[in-house]
Amino acid sequence: MAHPAPSPIYCLRGAGGPLNTLHFCCRGTDAPLLFSGSAKGTIHMWNLNTRRPEETFEAHGGSSILWVRTLWSADSLISQGRDMQVCLWDLRGGSGQAVDSVFTGSFGFCQCSLIETDQTKSLLAFATEQSDEIKIIEIPSKTTVCSLVPETKLGMVMCLKLWQPDSGPGPLLLAGYEDGSLLLWNVTQRSELSQVKAHPEPVMCLTFDPQRLRGISGSAETKLSSWILDSQNNIQLQESVELVNPGVSQLCIRADGKLLASAGWDHRVRIFGWKKLRPLAVLQYHTDMVLSVAFSDPLDPRQRLLAAGSKDQRISLWSIYNEGAATG
Amino acid sequence: MLCFPDSAAMPPVMSQISDPNIAFAYLRPACVQLTKHPSVTNVETLSGQLKDINDATLQQLQEYVLFPLRFVLKVPGPKKEKLVQAVAETISFVLENTCVQSWDALRDLFSELCLCLCCPADPGRPAEVSEELKLALVGCLDALLHAAYGDIVFRLFESTMLPGLGAAVSLLLALREKEKSRDLQRAALKCIQTLTLQCDCAQEHLAPSPDQRCSVGDTMASFLPGITTTVTRIITGDLRQGHTVTVRAIKVWSMTVALVMEDAQLRSRKTLQPVPAELGRIGQLVVQRTPDWVKSTAGKLSVLLKKIISCTSAHLHWRVRLELVGLAERLLASCSRSLSECVGPLLEVLVGAVNDEEPRVRERSEAALTQVSRRSQSCSSSAQTFSDVLSENLHSLATSLPRLMRTSDDQKKLFVLKVFLGYLKVLGPLVSVVLNSAAHLERISKALMQVLELDVTDVRIVEERSHSAAAERSYHAHVQRKHFLYFTDEKIFCALMEICRTLGYHGDIYLLTDQFLDLYRRSSAYRKQAAMVLNEVIRGAAGISVAAGLGHEGPPTSREDLKAAAVSVMEEYTSLNNWHLITASEETDRDRDRDRDRDRDRRDQQLLSSSRLLSISSSDVITASSASLPASSTSVRIQQLNSNIWQLCIQLEGVACFAQALERDFRPLLMTSLYPVLEKAGEETLLVSQAALNAMADISEACGYSSLQELINQNSDYLLNDISLNLQRLSQHPQAPRVLAVMLTHSDCSLLPLVGDIVQDVLTSLDVSYNRSAALFCTLLQALMKALVRWFPAAPSRTNISARSSSAQKELCIRQFLLEYRKQRELSEGVGIEEDDAADLEAPPPAEYEAVRDAGGPDVKAELPLHLSVTKEVMERCVHLMSDPDLRLRLKVLDLVELCVLVLSEREDELLPMAHRCWPALLQRLTADDPLAVLRAFRVLCTLGETCGDFLRRRVSKEVLPKLSRSLSRQAPVSARAGPVYTHSLAYKLQLAVLQGLGSLCQRLDLGEADLDAVCEACLPYLSCRQPIRLQEAGLSVFQHLIQVDPDTFWFTLNELHCPSPYTPPHPDLRPVQLGGMGRPRDEYSDNVLKLLREEFGSPSEALDPPRLG
Repeated sequence: MAHPAPSPIYCLRGAGGPLNTLHFCCRGTDAPLLFSGSAKGTIHMWNLNTRRPEETFEAHGGSSILWVRTLWSADSLISQGRDMQVCLWDLRGGSGQAVDSVFTGSFGFCQCSLIETDQTKSLLAFATEQSDEIKIIEIPSKTTVCSLVPETKLGMVMCLKLWQPDSGPGPLLLAGYEDGSLLLWNVTQRSELSQVKAHPEPVMCLTFDPQRLRGISGSAETKLSSWILDSQNNIQLQESVELVNPGVSQLCIRADGKLLASAGWDHRVRIFGWKKLRPLAVLQYHTDMVLSVAFSDPLDPRQRLLAAGSKDQRISLWSIYNEGAATG
Repeated sequence: MLCFPDSAAMPPVMSQISDPNIAFAYLRPACVQLTKHPSVTNVETLSGQLKDINDATLQQLQEYVLFPLRFVLKVPGPKKEKLVQAVAETISFVLENTCVQSWDALRDLFSELCLCLCCPADPGRPAEVSEELKLALVGCLDALLHAAYGDIVFRLFESTMLPGLGAAVSLLLALREKEKSRDLQRAALKCIQTLTLQCDCAQEHLAPSPDQRCSVGDTMASFLPGITTTVTRIITGDLRQGHTVTVRAIKVWSMTVALVMEDAQLRSRKTLQPVPAELGRIGQLVVQRTPDWVKSTAGKLSVLLKKIISCTSAHLHWRVRLELVGLAERLLASCSRSLSECVGPLLEVLVGAVNDEEPRVRERSEAALTQVSRRSQSCSSSAQTFSDVLSENLHSLATSLPRLMRTSDDQKKLFVLKVFLGYLKVLGPLVSVVLNSAAHLERISKALMQVLELDVTDVRIVEERSHSAAAERSYHAHVQRKHFLYFTDEKIFCALMEICRTLGYHGDIYLLTDQFLDLYRRSSAYRKQAAMVLNEVIRGAAGISVAAGLGHEGPPTSREDLKAAAVSVMEEYTSLNNWHLITASEETDRDRDRDRDRDRDRRDQQLLSSSRLLSISSSDVITASSASLPASSTSVRIQQLNSNIWQLCIQLEGVACFAQALERDFRPLLMTSLYPVLEKAGEETLLVSQAALNAMADISEACGYSSLQELINQNSDYLLNDISLNLQRLSQHPQAPRVLAVMLTHSDCSLLPLVGDIVQDVLTSLDVSYNRSAALFCTLLQALMKALVRWFPAAPSRTNISARSSSAQKELCIRQFLLEYRKQRELSEGVGIEEDDAADLEAPPPAEYEAVRDAGGPDVKAELPLHLSVTKEVMERCVHLMSDPDLRLRLKVLDLVELCVLVLSEREDELLPMAHRCWPALLQRLTADDPLAVLRAFRVLCTLGETCGDFLRRRVSKEVLPKLSRSLSRQAPVSARAGPVYTHSLAYKLQLAVLQGLGSLCQRLDLGEADLDAVCEACLPYLSCRQPIRLQEAGLSVFQHLIQVDPDTFWFTLNELHCPSPYTPPHPDLRPVQLGGMGRPRDEYSDNVLKLLREEFGSPSEALDPPRLG
């Protein structure tokens, strides 16, 4: 607490709505970009050099954007909206063109999860109209890989995380459910590997570090639960972190695995050391719920940024713990 | 020197005699006659006949013809001058048209002419004869030398001829020195030039072979000292002698030196020939050009050369300067080795002339320099020496520059700087090499630092304050001139700046910025100068205002380097320590606050100034603030402030310079640079805010924005980001509100959506820090509200409408009144119903509006336009702040409320609740506060009255009017008795303000009769002529308004006071009118009552009847 509280290095204004999702894209483009999706159905492509929107497209017929991600080294963008569509956008040649879309049927808030299996193909996991069903498709072919429904009633799917383990044949999927349970799915065998009840409330968000096989999830309460996967792919709950105020919208781990950021309903972004979950900083700027956080991953680690998008329609950019000395 | 007699220059005339025999026969009698009787007539006869002879024929008869003429000259004893002159002219004619083929003839004629020219007693001195004769003889000598055919002329330069030649040379020099006639002087000099075989006349000349040239050089070496010293004397002599002589003299000097000291000759002469023994005593005259001789001669020559240069380099006539450039060019071309020690001065001549004001001089010296540098580059060893010499010169000049700038006059300073500049230009790309030497860089930068020292003693600069109103929208108002310690001429400053630019253009930008940034950081004494230099260096590096000079293309610095350099300098400029400088002492700060209050309210102003007249007359205030400090530290403090101001100005100019240098590439840098500039634009110090405005204008131009407004609008996101962040840390960044205020001042309503966001921040931070920074925020909010008033001008308010209708009323006549009356009655009886319906149809907006509201959903209230919601928020705060204990803050808030009311007036349904909310606080101000606040509050009340109208009627009549009327009545006798000092008292201001506003307030609120009576009663005393004149005027204005409301009542009231004329009834049946004021003697009220009656009801004499029929 010796240092005064840091202030954001810049705030991006003019998004025109609460910011549900943020995604950095720092490689393969001229200037680092930040994509944001607002609750009013607008996707902004911010140029982080000029700090202005380079491109703005109205998507999903004005309904809230839940999730955006770039695909195939920033050539395409994939977005999920509450109009039950997932759209694919072509970013080459200036203005974004919607080239394809998939109907999900989900009316919930569950964000999709995506992994790129090779240069041209990706797997996309999303919730469907049966609120507890998860569907995984391959894009761009849109062929269904599998559909996963838990054997017991766990309620709606709240959040998803798809990843490819280093060892093992196929991708694994972590899913958080409405009753506070976490489920680990084997996608190729379509089987539940492990289940644990991490929260008494619905799991609002989770994030997972494939290097350490360790993850953390947040809920509408004042607790963050961390857990690891053991060698038998069992989820084992570990220590939890108490927050001052309840409610976490999103969690994000920095690419170097040193920092964890949480987007709090209490208008604050909290920074933890990821190794020991030691609280490091509270970033206070926003005047409303913080809905999303994201870390950038540029080639030069000194230019790493943390972005936080809030319901107050601003995105704050922070440059923190970039010297490498103070990280937990 | 050969001339061809039948060359194209003299076309043969047809009638000329071409047969030698006939010619001989033709000329013979005249020749014989002349030989027998030498007389002017005979000579003229001969010369007349000679003109009829063809040139070729004349050539054959040349010796024959010349004989009698020479005979005349040779005859011993005194001769008539006229005769000799005629003979000389005739010989000239012959020689001009023929050529001398024999050496003997040449020699004889040469010596004969010389003999004629010299004084018989003293062969070294010219004869005491007429100037015409001498001119003829010199001309003849010139013609002779031109006429020498083929190689024979070179025999003149054999050793044996030395004495004769020497005599001729000294004679000619003596002629030049002794004679007054310019023609003669010129002819003598030209003749010397011809004698050295370097004539530059139009005729063709023999080009001597190198050997021949060498022998001529050998011979002339003997005369070099004589010629050079004498000619130097001529050149440096009388300034009035006319430029042609000087030009010719310089030419002679340079050509002679170039001939004798020519490198080519000296190089080829490896072995010395011994002096031939047969010469005898003449041998002593022979000069051997040994290396020793060359060295000593060069030494002497360089002394002379320096004399010449110092005398002519700044000569007023450009031809002289041009010739000097020619001299330098010639000597550098041919004698750079032998005269190696002169190379420096010679280059300096060329370099100095590069910036000459005469283009021909400039071109010539540029060409010469190009040649010199090309020559030096062609052989590497000399290139080294050439640039060495240049850099050496530059170094020594830089060393002496500060001294020269302190001691010499402006003309000389300018010249020195031009030379300096010239060196840089000549060095061109080599500048960067030169600057790589630490000694050079250090020397040059120190010199610039010393020369550019500013004079910071001017007190006015610290005093001048910008008043927000005055500074608004006046870009490029005026650029304050900088005052330097060591010079005053603007040209000198320009030259210095060009030097910096040239340094930047050719030098390594990183090296230069490092060096000067280092100086900038190192000492505050150098800071301003270093900043000035940096600004221009970067401009120069971008190629702005750099005369590209000697054929270098394009600025050598890449855009990336330029940008990096500009960024680093700008970061330094805008860093906390260098940007947030104190430009005003705290005491003046407080005064300034009062000042601004004053500006806003003239009434307050007079009041306040009575106690604090001339509050910022510098020393006064500052001594007051630092009374314990000795006087000297006060002036130091002023100097410090002044210095800070200048530093900021220069840094602001710098930001503009960088923008100009980077042009559109500067746009990304606006992210970091625009905020600091705007911060300074809001500064109270006039000079700084103006510099900032100018910088903003420059930036917007450089970045390709069409206007300052566009610059701000396009970059408002960057600005607002900084503002919003800084608002959260107000203690560290107290300027943030000021920046927003500047933005608002210079922008338009397109800014509003973004600003709306920020205003929330502002209000939030106001809410958390009421006590500390409320005043600051009030200033900001005021700027905001002013901007809103400007951006959303209220629809023509009711004031104007009613004013118009009231003026129309004046012209109403009874007929119109009756018509109106009838119409009203018909309407009330239902006659005009259809029209009414039409009127209803014309106003559907409310219904539509309702529909829009419904469409939004049943319980959603239509969203208020942003500016109104912002205003409401602001006004909400005002309600609280109006009862702040700080009087100044209360005054500010009252102003703010007034602005809010103006903005809200467009939507009554929003205004009235707000008016209701702030009424208690306002009433408190009106009834129980400091008189100043009462004054301000009353103005707010008037504005409210104009906008809210009858909404306030009951409140005013119940809560305000009684008190006001009471105080007016109470004060009336006081002011009526008071002396002239009373007009400076607060009570007076209060009376005045109330009276001025009361009338329109009553009219606007449509007050009832009882209230009007009360007002009337309270105001009547002010119609007395004993009241101060302005109170009378204000009182009159009240009645004017009252008369608008109820003309009849007040006609009666006035007439009760004083009735100017008896009203005789038009018919005896009618009873005569009895009015209270009738027949009353004139009293204190008469004048004003009469005035009112005259102006409001027409002339009292004409107004036989009351204006209206009730």
